[in-house]
Amino acid sequence: MAEAQSTAKRSRFDFGYFGYQLKRSPLTMVGLIMVVLVLIVVIFAPVFATHDPNAIDLRARLAPPSMAHFFGTDEVGRDIYSRILFGGRQSIAVGFFVVFLAGLTGTVLGALSGLIGGRTDTVIMRLMDVVLSVPSLALILALAAALGPSLVNAALAIAIVRIPFYVRLVRGQALIVREMAYVKAAHTFRAGRLHILRWHILPNTLSPVIVQGTLDLGSTILLASALSFIGLGAQQPTAEWGAMVATGRNYILDQWWYSGFPGFAILFTATGFNLFGDGVRDMLDPRQKAR
Amino acid sequence: MMNLTLSRRVFLAGATALSVLAGGSTATLAAAPADTLVIAKPADPQSLDPAVTMDNNDWTVTYPAYQRLMKYETKDGKGLTSVTGDLADSWEASEDGLTWTFKLKDGQKFDDGTAVDANAVKFSFDRLFRIGQGPSEALPSGVEVTVVDPMTVSFKLGETYAPFLYALANNGAAIVNPKVAEQGDDDGKAYLASNTAGSGPYRLANWERGQTITMEPNPHYGGDKPAIDKMRIVIIGEASARRLQLEAGDVDIAEALPEDQLEALESKDGIAVQNYPSLRVTYLYMNNQKAPLDNADVRRAISYAVDYEGLIDGILNGNGKQMHGPIPDGMWGRDESVIQYNRNVDKAKELLASAGADGAEITFLYSDVDPNWEPIAIATQANLAEIGLNVKLEKLANATMRERFDTGDFGMATGNWTPDFADPYMFTSYWFDSDRHGLAGNRSWYTNEKVDELLREAALSSDQAEREKLYAEVQKIVTDEAAYVYLFQKDYRIAMRDNVEGFVFNPMLLDIYNIAGMSK
Repeated sequence: MAEAQSTAKRSRFDFGYFGYQLKRSPLTMVGLIMVVLVLIVVIFAPVFATHDPNAIDLRARLAPPSMAHFFGTDEVGRDIYSRILFGGRQSIAVGFFVVFLAGLTGTVLGALSGLIGGRTDTVIMRLMDVVLSVPSLALILALAAALGPSLVNAALAIAIVRIPFYVRLVRGQALIVREMAYVKAAHTFRAGRLHILRWHILPNTLSPVIVQGTLDLGSTILLASALSFIGLGAQQPTAEWGAMVATGRNYILDQWWYSGFPGFAILFTATGFNLFGDGVRDMLDPRQKAR
Repeated sequence: MMNLTLSRRVFLAGATALSVLAGGSTATLAAAPADTLVIAKPADPQSLDPAVTMDNNDWTVTYPAYQRLMKYETKDGKGLTSVTGDLADSWEASEDGLTWTFKLKDGQKFDDGTAVDANAVKFSFDRLFRIGQGPSEALPSGVEVTVVDPMTVSFKLGETYAPFLYALANNGAAIVNPKVAEQGDDDGKAYLASNTAGSGPYRLANWERGQTITMEPNPHYGGDKPAIDKMRIVIIGEASARRLQLEAGDVDIAEALPEDQLEALESKDGIAVQNYPSLRVTYLYMNNQKAPLDNADVRRAISYAVDYEGLIDGILNGNGKQMHGPIPDGMWGRDESVIQYNRNVDKAKELLASAGADGAEITFLYSDVDPNWEPIAIATQANLAEIGLNVKLEKLANATMRERFDTGDFGMATGNWTPDFADPYMFTSYWFDSDRHGLAGNRSWYTNEKVDELLREAALSSDQAEREKLYAEVQKIVTDEAAYVYLFQKDYRIAMRDNVEGFVFNPMLLDIYNIAGMSK
């Protein structure tokens, strides 16, 4: 009972507490800085870029890093530095798109499932079990291949596979809240399901969904890069980190910079989001709070 | 809890770094033993049926598994473009050039021990024409094969055909064991697609799709016992992985390496990069049946938009020569008075505007069987964007891409072509005759009645001067109509371990190895 109440309280985001926790956890701080850095660089890519990311210069192909090309050039003479900046837009947009889509759909389905119960609950949850019973990478590959190779389809495929995690999370939360005295009271006063969903269930599930979403961002960016790496994601000439690493593989023996820099960009971003996500979870997890 | 989190973080970072560094999966092999020759190829063969396959990549397997009536001559370790008898001991033509009689060599046997006789020759050619795919087109239609006696066979041609003897040295003219007919009721088509049944020095022992192909000596082969006891072809998609395995000695020959990798290999110990002048060209197909490419002005605009010099200087490091019309340098019949398209963006824009095709979308297919194709595709996309054409690139598996050439389901695509006999016929009749639409050779699906007429007339004539005149006229029309984008002609370069001996390069037999004569 005490635990549930604290959950309810924390749903109104407490930034003072958040800042205090952040200071206490240097790794989370590092993660946050990395994430902010990546977001700034990516949002202002046109400002920071030195070249048009798709402009080719065949005679300057595979040039090593220099003042003219900070990270060198690729096999048709495109500036790798500028391509990484613009490529980040693809990767990070996919991350947010997937988390938003999967989070929203999952929350709605999970809340309905938990609140209504009965046959609706059974149908939704069995459907989710089906999705979960297939190894997620295999399912993503199959979906992406069936939808056709493009970054949007890759994102859709990842989102579909991520939905059940949010459904389970929110449903569990909804089941607890549904039995709370205040919900029963609201019910007694003839509050409709929509009212209960809006005012009691959703606020109480916000925190875990945010934690899950933050954690998912990093892995989604990695997954999208992996799909592009095997050719199911971004298509030429679109700059995308995974695709750049993949093409760069052919040149890795003599031109390390081609896959090296986009690889580092993936590493940096995924690490940043993961550190930050872990930190946020620690902060919002009631069991951690006692420390 | 904290520890767990930390280790997860470390693991994640480590995993990401690994995925960056590892490059790609590389099949690990033990160093190649002395009696085994290992060849690294970028893509799996598709069909091993000599009556079906039109791809040198398949012929690496089929050519040494079969014998033909004729073969290319070798003199002082150099492959010539003239032919001599392989299974044929002697041959003569009638005065009108329509009847050819071949006497077969004794003691030649298929890999099941059956003797190669006139019946097998008749069966092979009858089968080739019954199946009627690309390879049959190397021979004129209406050929009648008759068994004169068990070791003598005669061919009756419906019309004279200048390159007849050369066509008999083609992969498609392979002599197939008639017993394949017992394998199902489809002329052995399904069986031969993944098996060999010939009298050549080697036969297929095992084929693990996408992995390895193993060939072993034909125990009944009529010639000398070869020094190489096993030929293994390993399929390795990435150029850098092929190169690494060559450096490590896991493979003896690495095919299809990009220019910069070859240059880096030249200075490595134990590796010899071979350089042979060849007649291989790289060109772009433009589907002449599909809008907007059905308009000659659009095709001309594209031909003017491509940065030929940039491709040669950049992607080939200067090791190539821009094509001038369809027939490569070094082949008779080439006419350099025809138009050679050079980059001229203004002119390209003008032509495109006059065709009203501004902003049109074109699908462009390529695969990674040739490492130069992807850079060419990206560069062409950028070049065409400059003049206002929107190119959508599609990278496909090689087999899928070739299927789409055959059905015409594409806009543009990359291609390589190398002749099977030293005759301009290879670069004209195949490319432009409307009978050969699709994989058979006319990959641009080009159609022009006048050109058809000229080509068929040229094939009938045995007067070289007259043929040259006809081919000149063809070249004028097809360059003016920009049937293809004629990119470049390039030396054939291949990297081998320096202990591989006896390889004979023949410009008619690209990707084909005379393994029976090789050793290491």
